[in-house]
Amino acid sequence: MPEPRVIDGRDMEPPEPLQRALAELATLACGEELVMLLNCEPLPLYAILDRSGYRYRTVRRADGTNQVHIQSG
Amino acid sequence: MARSSIQPALSFEQAPPISVPYRFFLTAPLFGAVAGLVLAVLGPETFQSRWSSGALAMTHLIVVDFMLQTMCGSLLQFVAVVAGANIWRPRLVAHIVHPLITAGAIFLASAFLLEQQVLFLVAAAVFITALGLFLAVMAIALLRTPARGMSIYVLRLAVLGLLVTVALGATLALTLGLEEHLQTDWSLLALINVHVAWGLGGWALMLVIGVSYLVVPMFQLTPSYPVWLTRLVPAGLFLVLCLWSLQLVAASAAMRAWQSGVALVGVLLAGLYAATTLWLQSRRRRRQADPTLVFWRGAMVSLIAFALSWIVFEALPQLGGSLSAPLWLGVLAIPGLFISVITGMLYKIMPFLNWLHLQQQGGMVMTAPNMKQMIPESAMRGQMRLHFAALGLLLAAVLWPVLALPAGLAFTASCLWLEWNLIGAARVYARFRDKIRATGGAVESGRS
Repeated sequence: MPEPRVIDGRDMEPPEPLQRALAELATLACGEELVMLLNCEPLPLYAILDRSGYRYRTVRRADGTNQVHIQSG
Repeated sequence: MARSSIQPALSFEQAPPISVPYRFFLTAPLFGAVAGLVLAVLGPETFQSRWSSGALAMTHLIVVDFMLQTMCGSLLQFVAVVAGANIWRPRLVAHIVHPLITAGAIFLASAFLLEQQVLFLVAAAVFITALGLFLAVMAIALLRTPARGMSIYVLRLAVLGLLVTVALGATLALTLGLEEHLQTDWSLLALINVHVAWGLGGWALMLVIGVSYLVVPMFQLTPSYPVWLTRLVPAGLFLVLCLWSLQLVAASAAMRAWQSGVALVGVLLAGLYAATTLWLQSRRRRRQADPTLVFWRGAMVSLIAFALSWIVFEALPQLGGSLSAPLWLGVLAIPGLFISVITGMLYKIMPFLNWLHLQQQGGMVMTAPNMKQMIPESAMRGQMRLHFAALGLLLAAVLWPVLALPAGLAFTASCLWLEWNLIGAARVYARFRDKIRATGGAVESGRS
């Protein structure tokens, strides 16, 4: 199982986390995971992931960070 | 897939077509330019008193055709995206509200300049129609949304503030238009005082406050506003406005003294909000200061200057009683606070909306251009310097009305430069949208 790619978007101004996520998704191999750390839920990203057939789940950490796990479908 | 509980976030599913907010944004600066020309053409007599026809026309061109236009356009977008609220037929609402607000402000400004009573009546009828529809649509959307949070509550208060402002404004216009026919128990001065307070405090400032709770931490990467402050400031302001409105029904000397205390609490709350915003911005996690941040800082400094000036005018009645005092406060509040915030937000909103809409259309097939490519940074900074120079000249013109001509021309030039920058952003959007369509991107119908 390869190490997940991680984007820490908590100190990025929108839409930079989304831009970076799209760049990473373009090269995400089957079975590989992208993890995003965000201050808020990335609803525009969810819409793109739904349309493009990616699987994802979001965990809310105790410090308020949203941890989004994304895998290709 | 699993999602955590909903917290402040941007939802794009309910966003109206991009043409809905853009028609408001692209019209607004033009009327700021006209307002500057009014000052330049009418010259020093405009700033002799707040009651001069030029000052009244200029004020309403800015507060209605610049501020109200952009605020209505922003709300149609913001309420859908932030509150996830369903706006009833946004394109139709924009088609009706936008031209009517534009026409209403022209009628109103003409009524002041030409002193034609019938134009006040026409303006009142147009505003009641346009803003009645807008308020009904907004109220339903904001009351039905399942979203919670202080931003939503404050936006509801702001919409209520607009309702009161419009009702009082229409009463004033009818009073001026039917001078011999309409009798009320309210003094005209009290009516104007309450109308101005609700318009600038209950609507415009309340809206800025509600929006800032979300956009300042999100886009300027600051800590969140303290929870106690997010409750105290809007609730306190609303209470102050209700108490201030009592001057409509009682006009004794004791009431006037008591009212000045009420107003003082209001300006202190506004000053507290501005100081807190500056403090949060000083603790932002990204050190670069983009034009939006500088505009916000300029706006908050103007609000603090407004609060301090108010206190000085209260403490020194000889100064506060001069004809220049209300003009000084008006310049700090309108171009200083509101036009600065609005301009800064337009420089963030338009590139952001461009990017989101293009991303949605291009999907994974074609990447949208970077946000920084939408409006050149140098153009935003140049316009920003001109705006603050114009603000300085307007303040100087209050003290030395002979400066009315350069102040008016500088404000006009600043608004035209803003318009040019916004048109540039809209053209970038149109160019990439056409490119996506030409390459068969995942264009969704009805989005452009």
